[in-house]
Amino acid sequence: MDNKNIIGIADMKMAQTTGTLITYALGSCIGICLYDQRIKLGALIHIMLPLNMETGRTGTMKYADTAIRETLRQMEAKGGSKARITAKIAGGAKMFEIVGSNSIGNIGQRNIESVRMMLKREGITLLKEDVGGTIARTLLFDVATGSACVRCHGRPDLIL
Amino acid sequence: MSIKDYDELTALELDTLKEVGSIGTGNAATALSELIGREVRIQSPEVRIMGYNEAIEWIGGPEEITAGVLVRLGGQMNGVMLSVQKLDFVNLVLESMMGKKVPDYFGLYEMESSALIEVGNIMISTFINALSGLADVNVELSVPAFTVDMQGAIMAVPMALYGGQSDYILTIGGRFLCNGKEVPCRLLMSPDIRSLNFLLRKLGVSGG
Repeated sequence: MDNKNIIGIADMKMAQTTGTLITYALGSCIGICLYDQRIKLGALIHIMLPLNMETGRTGTMKYADTAIRETLRQMEAKGGSKARITAKIAGGAKMFEIVGSNSIGNIGQRNIESVRMMLKREGITLLKEDVGGTIARTLLFDVATGSACVRCHGRPDLIL
Repeated sequence: MSIKDYDELTALELDTLKEVGSIGTGNAATALSELIGREVRIQSPEVRIMGYNEAIEWIGGPEEITAGVLVRLGGQMNGVMLSVQKLDFVNLVLESMMGKKVPDYFGLYEMESSALIEVGNIMISTFINALSGLADVNVELSVPAFTVDMQGAIMAVPMALYGGQSDYILTIGGRFLCNGKEVPCRLLMSPDIRSLNFLLRKLGVSGG
């Protein structure tokens, strides 16, 4: 796949000016596109859990809070400005509905809430989102334009 | 000694888990065989400790659509068990039980989905019953849940559940052979670390 950068689970990649960042099969996980329009600097993060409570706070990109903070830091190091950076997010679904057990279903919802809260705390505007529901999503992020596309099974592509 | 992460398992502990997988999968194969009225055998059982992205490649890539039956384990062991059913397996079940086939997953309506849930649930229950008997542990099973979607997102369910404990996922399971041909169905058990320690202790291979 030319010019496409694949982001795995608990991972982040950046690109500038051209290129498509892609992350596959977001279930309860969330894909977060951060974009500085002025310098066409984009980052795509694939987080799995809402809050980093690991001792030593390793696994930075696994958790919404540490991943967003660290990515913003790296974007600023490349000339990005938090005042200009905006966000688009997708994911946070509930893949299985289990009777009498909430913790599986709650992970997606807790991820959504944590991502929204972290973005707000960092002063980042959340432009668009496609979250919740029961379907898996693949997220493509074009850093030339800042446009994002959500691909699902059995649903037309959605442009964010 | 009890382990703190999946990658600390010793060779003896891994062999013991493989034995659990072998007996569990063997029983599940017999149950499947009775359900579909054909001979079903197991290939060598697998115990794998994989990184998240490695696990998704191992199951066949993130975006491929598959059916999944998920059961939560409770009682003395916490974990989840998944039956990942690819289209050829779906059609093997539907052909044997309902005398029909579907061209793709959009062809699954309520009756077809119920049959797949039932097959997945019976295979999972049989596996767990064998494990309970072997290790003398009491495991409670949730009602089965079902979805048809990207397999990466299905595999991510056990990962997210224990993601706060580990960067790895441990799966115990196996593949099935029907009339000498591989049946694209995998049965996977993912226990949490505490339950894994408990199971190993019950099986007498861990002193912790």
